[in-house]
Amino acid sequence: MAAQSPALPAAPWSPPRRQASLRYFLHRYARNRMALFGLWVITLVAFAAVFAPRVAPADPTKPDFGRLLAPASREHLLGTYDLGRDLLSRVIYGARTSLLAGVVSVGIAVAVGLPLGLMSGYYRGRLDDFLMRLTDALLSFPFLVLALAIAAVLGAGLWKAMIAIGIVFTPGFIRLSRAQVLSERERAYVEAARARRARRTGGSSGGTSCPTASRRCWCRRRWPWPQRSPRRPR
Amino acid sequence: MRRAFLAVAVLVVLLAGLASAQTPRRGGILRAGLDADPPNMDPHQSIAAVDRQVFQNRYDKLVDVNQNLEIVPMLATSWTISNNGRTYTFRLRPNVVFHDGTPFNAEAVRYNFERMLDRSFASPRRSEILLVEKVTVVDPQTVQIDLEKPFSPFLSVLSDRAGMMVSPTAARRLGRDFAREPVGTGPYRFVEKRPQERIVLERFDRHWDRSAGYVDRILYRPFADEQSRLANLLAGELDIINIPPATEVPNLKKDARVKMLEREGLGWQGVWLMVNGTPFNNRALRQALNASIDRRTLARVVFGEVVTPANGPFPPGLLGHDSGPNNRIPERNLDLARAKLREGGQPNGFSFTLKIVPGRQEQQVGQIIQSMAGEVGIRVNLEIVEFGTMLSQISPPNHRFEAARLGWSGRPDPDGNIYGFFVTGGGLNNSNYSNPRLDSLLDAARILTTADLRRRAYADIMNILNEDLPYMFLWWPKDYKPMSPKLQGFVHVSDGMMRFRNVWLNP
Amino acid sequence: MTRYLTQRLLLTIPVLFLVSIIVFTLINLIPGDPALLMAGGEAGQDVVEALRKQMGLDRPLVVRYAIWLGRVVRGDLGKSVRDGRPVLDVLRLKLPVTIQLAAISLLVSWCIAIPAGIVAAWKRRSVVDYTATTVALAGVSIPNFWLGIMLLYLFAVNLRWLPPSGYVEPWVNPIRSLERMVLPATVLGTALAALVMRLLRSSMLEVLGTEYVRTAQAKGLADRRVITRHALRNALIPVVTVMGLQLGGLLGGAVITETIFAVPGIGQLAVQSILTRDYPMVQGVVLFSAVAIVFVNLSVDIIYSLLDPRIRLVEARS
Repeated sequence: MAAQSPALPAAPWSPPRRQASLRYFLHRYARNRMALFGLWVITLVAFAAVFAPRVAPADPTKPDFGRLLAPASREHLLGTYDLGRDLLSRVIYGARTSLLAGVVSVGIAVAVGLPLGLMSGYYRGRLDDFLMRLTDALLSFPFLVLALAIAAVLGAGLWKAMIAIGIVFTPGFIRLSRAQVLSERERAYVEAARARRARRTGGSSGGTSCPTASRRCWCRRRWPWPQRSPRRPR
Repeated sequence: MRRAFLAVAVLVVLLAGLASAQTPRRGGILRAGLDADPPNMDPHQSIAAVDRQVFQNRYDKLVDVNQNLEIVPMLATSWTISNNGRTYTFRLRPNVVFHDGTPFNAEAVRYNFERMLDRSFASPRRSEILLVEKVTVVDPQTVQIDLEKPFSPFLSVLSDRAGMMVSPTAARRLGRDFAREPVGTGPYRFVEKRPQERIVLERFDRHWDRSAGYVDRILYRPFADEQSRLANLLAGELDIINIPPATEVPNLKKDARVKMLEREGLGWQGVWLMVNGTPFNNRALRQALNASIDRRTLARVVFGEVVTPANGPFPPGLLGHDSGPNNRIPERNLDLARAKLREGGQPNGFSFTLKIVPGRQEQQVGQIIQSMAGEVGIRVNLEIVEFGTMLSQISPPNHRFEAARLGWSGRPDPDGNIYGFFVTGGGLNNSNYSNPRLDSLLDAARILTTADLRRRAYADIMNILNEDLPYMFLWWPKDYKPMSPKLQGFVHVSDGMMRFRNVWLNP
Repeated sequence: MTRYLTQRLLLTIPVLFLVSIIVFTLINLIPGDPALLMAGGEAGQDVVEALRKQMGLDRPLVVRYAIWLGRVVRGDLGKSVRDGRPVLDVLRLKLPVTIQLAAISLLVSWCIAIPAGIVAAWKRRSVVDYTATTVALAGVSIPNFWLGIMLLYLFAVNLRWLPPSGYVEPWVNPIRSLERMVLPATVLGTALAALVMRLLRSSMLEVLGTEYVRTAQAKGLADRRVITRHALRNALIPVVTVMGLQLGGLLGGAVITETIFAVPGIGQLAVQSILTRDYPMVQGVVLFSAVAIVFVNLSVDIIYSLLDPRIRLVEARS
């Protein structure tokens, strides 16, 4: 086996105190007004999506050809669409598709991209080289080629589109989480932890992931969501 | 008395103004906005409709069509049809040269036909002139073309790409690469093309019509986005554009910044129904779907006033339009639709997939069909398919679809709007429709020489098509040309082609 | 460093190889026959067959790939199936356009994002911060095509301050060239800036909370110096990553913006060649895009090590 050359050996890891960190997280979250506002918006959208048939005032697909592009009225709170359909109902039903598409495509990208990026950044060497060249290759495809090919193989439809978008997002997440690890792994606390564990376990390296960085990276995951800082600067 | 004098004075001033507006000016660069980048500049290889826009000014055709779609002389000054419509003898215009100096004569015409018919050259024109049996050079100024059998749309075919003459010298030298360095006899010669950026033409000083070609140069620029194309016209960056956004047409008619020309188009639009597989192999179900559609509402809602509701392949202005069954727009009839569903053995309705190409209007059309058919229990699944994929899926011999939304840009002779689409085994017969009686009528319409007889044949054909419904004709598009008020002398022909040989730019 | 660079450059070759194989496979998976698209429906079957033969499409995929690869190795990217134009010539026309647009867009983005991000983090929870954050949110949310059409109508149609479309080579007329880049670069730049600004702000906030910044502050260094000398360097690492991704994306072509402003760049070329199944052209575009991305990512990795010397450029050993 070819030797890699990580700058430092990887260290085993003991789980952090989950409860404490969760409580801390919630405490910080509740104090951030922007975050709470965001939470409300998301909740509202999710609510509309789940209860669309009950919330929507009209059938979103039913056209009214006598009323094209009508202004807001009591009957149509946001007016009508170009085919005379109720705009508010379409927005409410549209939340279903948008939410699903957003969550699934980004979910795919994170689920695949994050662990790969973490491994790449932590182990460096051959693995890093391989993964980075793979992302180079993926990043250079025109989206349309991928989308058309995926549609051709899987067939058309929302789920396929979500998979296609997820695949397109993945290389970006790989590179981003790798960059995070690169800057994080040189921090004092990581080195301290490494030194401590190394002594305790006799310097054996192992594990297939890098959970410390992973946890930090995950908590401060930066893109494309809004984020917040754990500590307030002076 | 004084008032009369004033009136005369006003009239004189007006007339003077009119006269000055009518005097062509030489010079300037004409900038035209196209709806797409013309992919190929060889008329014998071209398939894209947008190519033809540029060809109009770079090539001369043997004959042209005028505003009434009548055949008029161009490279051929006169012709005779003999031998029961099987022999066409063209008298060619003398002293015509190609842009590379090659003389245009009967020999050149013969070469052009050979080129189009050459199987290995694989010209899309080949199927249009397949009936040509022999091209004979009678003398340098006379050429005789013999057809296998009479073919009344022949001259009309020669008014399009098949009639555009390319330089034999250049074509022999370049082969397929002629598409990059095209040489014709037209009033403008090719200067340069940068893909997706511009095509530049320059006046050809040795053109046979000394008065043609007032502007010095023509600059074509492709704008794939219709809003942006229009904005460029309004901003004064372009002098004329092709295909304005349908929703903007009413505003443009009132806009003082543009001059808007309108004509009935030549094409038809609607939905293919594949008659060789479920569910549409059942004729009653095709009729049920057809009865559930309200064409007038569909046309009004999606396109406003820019289209006409349709029931046949012959739009207003084309021969055959006035044959009764073609222009009798069926009213929506839900009772009939339900009766036809019962007759077809599907009283509770059925479901099918309608393929549409991407685009806002296409989706609207699909959604309206979906909701109209839904009212009688016909469930329509919409599937958006990219154009190239759609073409290969629905074209013969694949026919892999149930219903598909695709139309035709139209030709100046009715035959070009119907024959290949519905004749058994036709290259454009997407629905795989076959009816021997219709075939013989279609062939008869090609042989008949008087308009009246042809009109009668097309009426019979339409009666069959309206009953069998391999295609649901839904609307006929109109053609619009918005242009700068500075652009003068433009003659708007229904084929939508921008002929610039006699236009000029006022300062 | 030299060894690292050589190694990375050598690694480009397998990447390009991989990319070309995947593209070749993918584009052949897409239904749609280039011969049919070229001949049109009204041409007969025999015409389509003849064309297919001329294009070499009657041969098996592997053979076609081998032929193509053999030519590429000799520097010949083949010819467009549409009109026989050499792929390399077309790419040469598009390259300056795309590079110019990408560079100016990126510049616009930095000019907005870097100052805004720093100030927003420095004066956290101030009016400046909230304004910048809100504008950034708007920038991310507004679709490019909408902003593009609006700017087009405002500045080109109504005010007539700027030309609405097109491209002029900078060496032909630098001022007119720049004029035509203003609108598309603004549209692209603002969208990119929004993301970079938010990223920089949060990254700065985090760095400002670390011990070494506190130490620097405790030493009595001025805020400005702490921010520019100490904090910014570290905060830039994730930002540089995103900028790299953005630049890669821009070099691959900004289709929507190019279409609205009729900028004849790589994006429009890519889309048109895919839609017409111009296989050699698609291959050429993707290869170019792959080379661009490899170089951008290489630069990003080198910038990492410049920003934080502890991040070493690690060579693989065998």
